[in-house]
Amino acid sequence: MTKQSHKRIFRPGLAACALAVAAAGLAVTHDIGAVAEPVSQAGPATFRRLSEDQYKRSIAQIFGAEIAVPGRFEPPVREDGLLAIGQSHVVVTPGGLEQYALRAREISAAVLDEAHRARYLQCAPATPAAFDEPCARGFLAKYGRLLFGRPLTNGEAAAAIALSRRAAASSGSFYTGVGAGLSSLLVSPAFVFRMEAVEADPAGGQRLDAYSLATRISFLLWDAPPDEALLDAAADGSLRTPQGLERQVDRMMASPRLEQGVRAFFSDMLAYDQFAGLSKDAQIYPIFNPQLRNDAQEQSLRTIVDHLLVQNGDYRDLYTTRKTFLTRSLGALYGVPVDARGFNGWMPYTFPAGSPHAGLLTLPAFLMLDPSHEGRSSPTIRGMMVRQNFLCQPVPPPPANVNFNLVQDVNDPLHKTARERLAAHQENPVCAGCHKITDPIGLALENYSPVGAFRAQENGVTIDASGKLDGAAYRNAIELTGLLRNSPAASACVVQRVVEYGVGRKLSPGEELWLDALNTRFAQDGYRFRGLLRAVATSPTFQAVAPATLALN
Amino acid sequence: MSRWNRRNVLRGAVNGAAVTVALPFLDCFLDGNGEALAATGAPIPTRFGTWFWGCGINEKRFYPDQVGKDFAFKTETKALAPFKERVTVFSGFNVILDGQPNLTHWSGIMGALTGTTPNRGGNGVGTSLAPTLDCLVADHIAAGTRFKSLQVACTGQSSVSYSMRAGNTVNSSEVDPVALYKRLFGPEFQDPNSGKFTPDPGIMLQQSVLSSVKDSRDELMRGVGAADRARLDQYFTSVREVEQQLAVQLQPPAPAEACAIPKAPAAVELGTTWEDATKMHDRLTDLMVMALACNQTRVFHVALSAAVSNLRKAGQSVALHELTHEEPIDPKLGYQVEATYFLEQSMDVFASLLRKMEAVREGTGTLLDHSLILGLSESNLAKLHTLESLPMIVAGTAGGKWKQGQHISGKGDTTSRVGLTIQQALGMPVGSWGTGANATSRAISEVT
Repeated sequence: MTKQSHKRIFRPGLAACALAVAAAGLAVTHDIGAVAEPVSQAGPATFRRLSEDQYKRSIAQIFGAEIAVPGRFEPPVREDGLLAIGQSHVVVTPGGLEQYALRAREISAAVLDEAHRARYLQCAPATPAAFDEPCARGFLAKYGRLLFGRPLTNGEAAAAIALSRRAAASSGSFYTGVGAGLSSLLVSPAFVFRMEAVEADPAGGQRLDAYSLATRISFLLWDAPPDEALLDAAADGSLRTPQGLERQVDRMMASPRLEQGVRAFFSDMLAYDQFAGLSKDAQIYPIFNPQLRNDAQEQSLRTIVDHLLVQNGDYRDLYTTRKTFLTRSLGALYGVPVDARGFNGWMPYTFPAGSPHAGLLTLPAFLMLDPSHEGRSSPTIRGMMVRQNFLCQPVPPPPANVNFNLVQDVNDPLHKTARERLAAHQENPVCAGCHKITDPIGLALENYSPVGAFRAQENGVTIDASGKLDGAAYRNAIELTGLLRNSPAASACVVQRVVEYGVGRKLSPGEELWLDALNTRFAQDGYRFRGLLRAVATSPTFQAVAPATLALN
Repeated sequence: MSRWNRRNVLRGAVNGAAVTVALPFLDCFLDGNGEALAATGAPIPTRFGTWFWGCGINEKRFYPDQVGKDFAFKTETKALAPFKERVTVFSGFNVILDGQPNLTHWSGIMGALTGTTPNRGGNGVGTSLAPTLDCLVADHIAAGTRFKSLQVACTGQSSVSYSMRAGNTVNSSEVDPVALYKRLFGPEFQDPNSGKFTPDPGIMLQQSVLSSVKDSRDELMRGVGAADRARLDQYFTSVREVEQQLAVQLQPPAPAEACAIPKAPAAVELGTTWEDATKMHDRLTDLMVMALACNQTRVFHVALSAAVSNLRKAGQSVALHELTHEEPIDPKLGYQVEATYFLEQSMDVFASLLRKMEAVREGTGTLLDHSLILGLSESNLAKLHTLESLPMIVAGTAGGKWKQGQHISGKGDTTSRVGLTIQQALGMPVGSWGTGANATSRAISEVT
């Protein structure tokens, strides 16, 4: 099952190539602890536009949270299941560039205003009205390195200094001058994009250069750029030694920033970008409001972070855990009293045994996350989201000329429940193929309303939530999630997504072996997510780069 | 531009003290014929826009029964009756799939707007293999305006836009009137009729910054793989375009007779109900029409909804897209009553834009006369995602270069013929357009 789920990601035509690489790869292995990691050809380096969060986090990490980041960001694009893969394909339009220029201007102005400048400049100009080259040089070199994730080249430094000098002369202000220099760094594609640089690997083949590796690791673990210590490790070569690499990865995993990285990863994997603007009809679901929506998203991320990072629990138990956190508005949804802790914060809560609420799929975040249906639930969409986002199983789109007559007329007197209405799909051979994949899972979740509240009936008829998953019968969502928890596809999916998220692309031929090794290790390690992140971040394959001709993308 | 060379002005604007140039304020901006501005001798510019609504039509209620000039609007187009002499209805023009799959709610709109059926996408999003018509037109007619084009969407999502170059990145939409107002009429706006012009040294500085970024191009291009070079190159193209935008800001603006700076709009609720979206359309197009009149842009794109339209009536459990697929066809009426509510009223909204453009007087005509607006949807019958007889309506006369007042049947020809004809009417040197089965060199002679 594990192998099958991996093969799906490769083009059939490349199977022979993958096998050839696999055969070659078996001869040499890297020891990555419990499991020897086969050497693979890896894939191409990437060129990724920073996401809105990554941009904002970069500014906050480099300059401090008090420097505001204004303007509108271009919308992200999801490709092959992840925004992180879409980042490797998007461009910056003129409208987008206008916004980057505006941001650069305002960020520079804030950094160099009277209130802040002393914090960032390690020097004072001889006179504020005239250009002071050594002072400007030190400032631009320091922040250039942090923004670009590598030292400025001589050409870049010279250009920024020349611009600063001209602008200082014309404005009569040293600070306006270096502000222009800083602006030019902020508008550079070397900051707006993560540009991975490649070098020859002394052991043969190609690899990321040390700074690009630092950036890849840092965005994987923190969803933020490398800090000074990591850049120093790239500069002095220690990041290239196994011990030095592990030291940095362990340091970063011990940092509170790991939580933001884990939140970013699951927000991408579970498509939480769809929460932006998500709404439900106020007349049909009066309990729904932006507060409940935001709380639902946060509840789910809190549950994930607590289980995976704080408790260091088994990833698979996310499907079944009865532990979560409540606010007052979530308490109202569940009919659970929430004490003072939940009024301005979060109250830890464990649902009693036998409760219909257990695991991520029964949390309102999953249940409400369907922007295309504001007035009802769609078992098909819910089933598709489980297949695609939790199990990495793409569901083909419906045929363009499909006739949906009578399928979901909620006022249909003959077909009162979604199951009765969807039976039409199952009876139509054109539809049945895909709906057999999606609907049984979605129908098992029909006991939960579009905002996540439990319901036993729809239109006066008791909901039948039973079904079968891969031949195993279940009576309700709790039994289904128990089956999903033990499905190899569920754990293999998170491994695949972590790797794709880290490298910013679909996997290439030869990386299948790497995935298998990571899966084996994940299982041996009791499915600890921390262990998975560490294994990927310290993996030799994570830094390997394929020659461009082998690239799939 | 020579006088306002960036470095000269930087030198001139010492200590931030700007040079102010007084311009003669003219009582009458126009020449004797009323078709050119006396101050500059330039003709009144032609504008182009695309206006999109999601989920198609009921063709029997939409297309007139008669072709030619003597036709009567049907129920779904009756809102356009007051504009009969200034619109052309096209029926029988198809997006030809040409061996590609029918990517739902994507093949139709991209096929019609790019002349090339896409090979990746579906459910209203995807990749385009060629630029959309508005981008092509903007390359040709946008010189000298502050914004090459403007995109707006009425349901709150900036990703809803059917304006894009080849690739997967849309020209994202403005969705908030307050933000759009700030961008258009904020502190950097130069009133074309103020009679005063002050080149802003801050803009010079911004130009210097972009120029410095551009200087790093060659070094950075060497550092990326072949596949990513085009994306990096697009970045520098965008830098150049913003530089040109800034250059416009350093020129005294040509007077614009009809330009009246609108009042700053109040914050407005974003939403996907019909009421919210149409209110939003009203606010956004108020600003956009004035952006055209004030010569801030000449090209625009309006998306009333996404192709997979999530418009719904307040309190209704199902949105338009789901209705088109799931609502039974009324056996007596022969169409889906609930879905049709939205489709029929979409033309009212289109007509509201035409009314606003007609209300702007320019020379002896109106802004509408000096424009071409292509209204279209992504399918004919959304229920089945049909691409035959894709609904397309062209309004305006492009300054007299387009003969309106007709219903023209394409008899199964490609929609590219409409796109080609628009480009030629706008004076673009294009002899053929589209690819594969959607390639054409036959403009529609009835309108030009």
